[in-house]
Amino acid sequence: KSLLNSAIRTQSTSQYLLCASGDFVKVYSVNTEETLRLMGGHADLVTGIQLNPHNHMQLYSSSLDGTIKLWDFMDGIPIKVLLLLVSDRFFFLWSDTFQLVSVKLTKGAGQDLESKELSVVLDGVGASVKHIAFGREGAYVVSVKDVTLQVYFFKRKLLNRFSLSTVKTKGGDNRFSCVVCHPTEDCIATGHADGKIRLWRNFHHRKEYTYSTLHWHHDIVMDLAFSVEGTRLLSGGVESVLVQWHNESSCQKDFLPRLGSPIEYISMSSDGALCCTLHTDNRITIINSNLRFSRSIQGLIKSRDVKTGLVVDPRTKALVLNGEPGHLQFYSLQSDQQLFSLDIVQRQYIHQAGLKQSDLVKVAFSAQGTWLATVEESEEVTDPELQLKLWFYSEETQSFTLNTRINTPHDNHITDMCFRDMDELGDDSLILVTTGRDCVFKVWVMVEDTDPEGKSAHESVSWSCDFVGSYHNYQATNCCFSEDGSLLAVSFEETVTVWDSLTWDLKCTFCHPPGNIRNICFGRLTCSKYLIGATDYGFLCCWNLLTCALEWSAHLNIVVLQPDPLSEHIAAVSWLSKESSLFVFKPNEPRPLYIQRNLCKEKILLAAFVPRDEPETISSEKYLWLRKSQLFFLTDTQELMTLSTKSLEERLTPSSKQLAVEESLPVTPFSLLLGKHRHQQAQEDTDLGKPVVHNKQEQASPAVKELLHTPAHVLPSASFLCTIFINSLLISKENKSAEEVADEVEMESEKADGDSDEEDVTVMEQEDTSPMELLGEMTCKLSKSQEKELRKIRKMDYSWIAAF
Amino acid sequence: MVASGTGTQLAIGCEDGSVKIFQVVPGGIQFERNLDRRKGRVLCLSWHRSGTHIVAGSIDFFRVIDVASGQTVQRIMVNHQVEKAKRECVVWAIALLSSGTVVSADSFGRVQFWDWEQGTLAESHTVSTSAALSLAVSEKEDSIVVGTSTGATYQLQLLPVKLGGLEKCWVRTKPFQFHSHDVRAVAHSSTALISGGLDAQLVIRPLMEKVQKKGYDAVLRKFTFPHRRLVSCARKARLLLFQFSQYLELWRLGSTEETGKDGEVLPPCRMPEHLVQLKSKGPEHIYCSCVSPCGTWVGYSTASRFQLYRVRCDGDGVSLRKVPKVPKLLPPAYQLQFSADSESLFVASARGSVHVFQLLEPGGCKHLHTLQPPSGCSEAVYLLAPSADGHWLAAVSGDWAIHIYNLKCFQHHCVVPAYSCAVSALAIHPSTNNLVIAYSDQQLFEFSIPEKQYTSWSRAVQSRGLHRTWLERDSPITHITFNPKNPAHILLHDTYLLCILDKSLPLPDDSTLLMNQSTLKQLPETARKRQLHAFKICKKFQPLLFMDLLDENCLVVVERPIMDFKTQLPLAVQQKKFGT
Repeated sequence: KSLLNSAIRTQSTSQYLLCASGDFVKVYSVNTEETLRLMGGHADLVTGIQLNPHNHMQLYSSSLDGTIKLWDFMDGIPIKVLLLLVSDRFFFLWSDTFQLVSVKLTKGAGQDLESKELSVVLDGVGASVKHIAFGREGAYVVSVKDVTLQVYFFKRKLLNRFSLSTVKTKGGDNRFSCVVCHPTEDCIATGHADGKIRLWRNFHHRKEYTYSTLHWHHDIVMDLAFSVEGTRLLSGGVESVLVQWHNESSCQKDFLPRLGSPIEYISMSSDGALCCTLHTDNRITIINSNLRFSRSIQGLIKSRDVKTGLVVDPRTKALVLNGEPGHLQFYSLQSDQQLFSLDIVQRQYIHQAGLKQSDLVKVAFSAQGTWLATVEESEEVTDPELQLKLWFYSEETQSFTLNTRINTPHDNHITDMCFRDMDELGDDSLILVTTGRDCVFKVWVMVEDTDPEGKSAHESVSWSCDFVGSYHNYQATNCCFSEDGSLLAVSFEETVTVWDSLTWDLKCTFCHPPGNIRNICFGRLTCSKYLIGATDYGFLCCWNLLTCALEWSAHLNIVVLQPDPLSEHIAAVSWLSKESSLFVFKPNEPRPLYIQRNLCKEKILLAAFVPRDEPETISSEKYLWLRKSQLFFLTDTQELMTLSTKSLEERLTPSSKQLAVEESLPVTPFSLLLGKHRHQQAQEDTDLGKPVVHNKQEQASPAVKELLHTPAHVLPSASFLCTIFINSLLISKENKSAEEVADEVEMESEKADGDSDEEDVTVMEQEDTSPMELLGEMTCKLSKSQEKELRKIRKMDYSWIAAF
Repeated sequence: MVASGTGTQLAIGCEDGSVKIFQVVPGGIQFERNLDRRKGRVLCLSWHRSGTHIVAGSIDFFRVIDVASGQTVQRIMVNHQVEKAKRECVVWAIALLSSGTVVSADSFGRVQFWDWEQGTLAESHTVSTSAALSLAVSEKEDSIVVGTSTGATYQLQLLPVKLGGLEKCWVRTKPFQFHSHDVRAVAHSSTALISGGLDAQLVIRPLMEKVQKKGYDAVLRKFTFPHRRLVSCARKARLLLFQFSQYLELWRLGSTEETGKDGEVLPPCRMPEHLVQLKSKGPEHIYCSCVSPCGTWVGYSTASRFQLYRVRCDGDGVSLRKVPKVPKLLPPAYQLQFSADSESLFVASARGSVHVFQLLEPGGCKHLHTLQPPSGCSEAVYLLAPSADGHWLAAVSGDWAIHIYNLKCFQHHCVVPAYSCAVSALAIHPSTNNLVIAYSDQQLFEFSIPEKQYTSWSRAVQSRGLHRTWLERDSPITHITFNPKNPAHILLHDTYLLCILDKSLPLPDDSTLLMNQSTLKQLPETARKRQLHAFKICKKFQPLLFMDLLDENCLVVVERPIMDFKTQLPLAVQQKKFGT
């Protein structure tokens, strides 16, 4: 399970950019934009990170799991773990109110420390990190909430509270949105919901406090940051413009416009040379001190709403989904970066609340990726302005060019769209089917242009409607072609209709009342005679197309149904009692191959199988279905997840780690002289360092677990199992010897014990450790022969599991 | 022109670049000497608190002059940073603080702080994109108010850089935008910022942190019209005299013979008629004016001269004749008032004195007597109220004392008990000879002249207290008149309301609605009786300049729409406004 780039708060030195992302803290290199390190260890969301003010190579991170960790981010090693009894470093939740507590950092020698010395500093503080700031030299702390500003002076134990008027006049809105303190002077800058920035002074007087106002933003000020000297103030908001105010004067200001998307956070590097902004679409922009755009780190763009679903580009194997407003992003999963962004709507996007703008809602690729169909509609509910666009991939420009634009293809919202997938028949047989809420489905085909001036083959074709089908005036909701392209299944509310794609005759209908059909798909390869459907009322049905009868059905609230294009497997994700579960099955067997309960707490909205470049060697039988392709999920919080068989550390290339060592050296003539010598040493260092870093070992053999958790009535005889059992014990003993060296064993075991759901934990641990050959070289060499033997045994013995 | 801190010397900056020092002597000023003359007109001046130095602002530079030697000690260019612009930088306002810091406000919208001894720039604040025009420093010299040509005023405060530390810096804090045009003058009192501008408004903005308790001081005040009577009315002749800054206009009122219901507009049978415009000579503004009740005399006074005219109406034509040999008055009148029978004229003058002139046919006048308070008074009289029977005259002087004189024997009659507030209007009731006094804190008193004491109604009002809404009003009562038909009625008005005070009705308490006329209208007759109270208020006419009862069923009201003179103002500085 991995999270890709849902960044929270950044901290930067001039060389490294640290960013909290989900459960991890990421370290980026400022110069190369590369992810240098992923520091994992927190069991829940990381809520805040802070550089150690006394040592800029160390970082504190706080998490919802109730711990604060001190990291040496150069090595990615947690130095100290501070366990808080309650939840968080800065705040803990108590019936909707947050409190600011101070924690005494104990100077114990051990790695895990528990702190009981908590003292409440402020009550009723804002929930965000942006709502709290420490003043010059830590003399006071400021917190804002709604229209109240609180200042607490530590030495004098004085609490001052200032309130602004709650009345909203002339578009004014005094609610606070963020607060920062001047680094050298006693000045507090606050951002407000109406775009004003107030600079507070003299706030140790209850009455004679004063503030001045800076106003440029027309909407909420999302974040503020002072430069290191305090002469410049940076502010950003929904306008996607970074504003630099000089000397707290409203007349002297500079702008860095067109940053692409609303600014969420602003962070200054500790030496003041760089600043970075984090945007709502999950992008980090690094900006020079002279307010010049330097570079950007772009992960998966977080769009407002993923309407297109997760689609895989057959050409690049990139994940395709909504990106920037009106754009389609092609996101490479291998490199965790955006390949390119295709402007579909081709209209200026205006950041303004309440404005109805067109957005991309549906996307479909033809089998080879030569054709792309997109549907865009305006946000108006009653009269959507629909456009169907067909794009052709031109080899020369290496991008998609618009071929046909169809205005109002349907009279109401388009619900689904698919191409007929026929690799062998070529382009001529290409058919596009769209289904709409106007109760029809339409078939679109390519026609040759009569105009002789068309030059190339693809410029002379255009798309037009060939057939309009309907069924009892029901709304058409889904469509799907069978693998050979001969049959088209279209669901009309409660009914699935099957049509002959040559003659467009209605062949048969399937129905499983009550409840509308939510998803349909055809089986593939050996299972192509089956049609799978999921209904609103929580049934998963499998119909046999040859007998036209229900083969089997299961009671499951399926929200996502995703067939693997390269195998017979179909993945279904259910949403039940606030947790998502994954089922993988073959249509010809009513029993699932693989079940993963409690996949995540968020609702999974979309899933996609991404074909692997080359089939992976998967040791565990349980994951054989992941051999050819990888499964990705997108949750409603727009987090992208995947089922992984590898540990996370291995995803990072070793070269980037070497880079980190190189970069930590200041470039001086002396260092250049020593460069060659150091290079050799560094290589040795990394070679030695590797086993230490990678030592995350398993607790118990998977075979043993498998044995203990399989229901007794399906187990083979004991004599048959005996050899496996003993063999597995032998292997795990080999591993134990290496494990004893590791520092983190304690932590790992603690984590495992603390977790209640044992079955899932075993799966996770297994993921971490299964690819043995990629571990440190020394351990590999020692066990290679034995491993071969083991694999042989496994392959032979596990065949019976496949029967499930 | 700026007076020194002690008030003994006066410095005057001239167009030719010289600064002249005048000595203030009793009864006038005396030229002392010229200070060092440099090229460039002097636009602003400021004395050091000790009186040793003067700083004079010019175009592109200002200079510091030692008063004792008369020499220029320091000449500082303010235009160094913006040489490229090639525009001249006008120092519009300047202040010399006691610490030796010079504060300058210039046409680039900057407020700059200079160390005059070194001639170095300490701080520069660009407060506005347009010119900074005026500057005022607080008594403690820790706060400065700046007026700009966009109509915004800004406050700059001297604040510690670090809490409790000694190092301080000036910080621009509160901006206020209450004017639409240039803010030409600003003042800094201990509790408020006061600004006046080209848009003919005076704004008092309280500093909430300095105001101790909630009261009159704690509210923002805006004044558009002077709290003086600018219109006088000849009741019998049905004429109105309007006083403008440079001229007078005499109008004859129209009339109608029809009657109608409340809210109807009646068609006039005779249109109002502009009879004559009388321009004053010279650049001086008209200070006060009056028309006699019979409509045959018009008098006005400027800062230096007092003029009296005889008006003759023959048919359609109107002729004005200047009354010759008007006794010379020094200083001239602060207020003019004709007696009810139009036979004498009262002229309010300096030192608490009131001159009584007898008006003679066909066009002459004679000084009869000068009334003076027995104890003497240093302030000038600014309000007069003669009684209708010609027996009494009430005069209010600048020290807020109200003296009542007997006109039959030209003797001082009595003094109204002192009250710690300025009198804004007063009038003597025609039948009872009760003096009704309105104070600027909105209190109302009734004083019986024959009995030399407050009337019982007045005592009842004081013990009970006036309605809170009445006391919290913005503008003071500027005119009082009476209804001859119903002696219990007192008619009052300020800029925003017209009120008939019925003494026979109970006073309202704070729980009832003060302005209840509209609700009363909807009530049935019986219920209405119970809801009635003494204050009958009409807010239909705004801004209200004048109101008087002509005869028993005719009331004249003068309204001056703000737009009338807003349209005459020059164009405001163009400013780009977001979203327009």
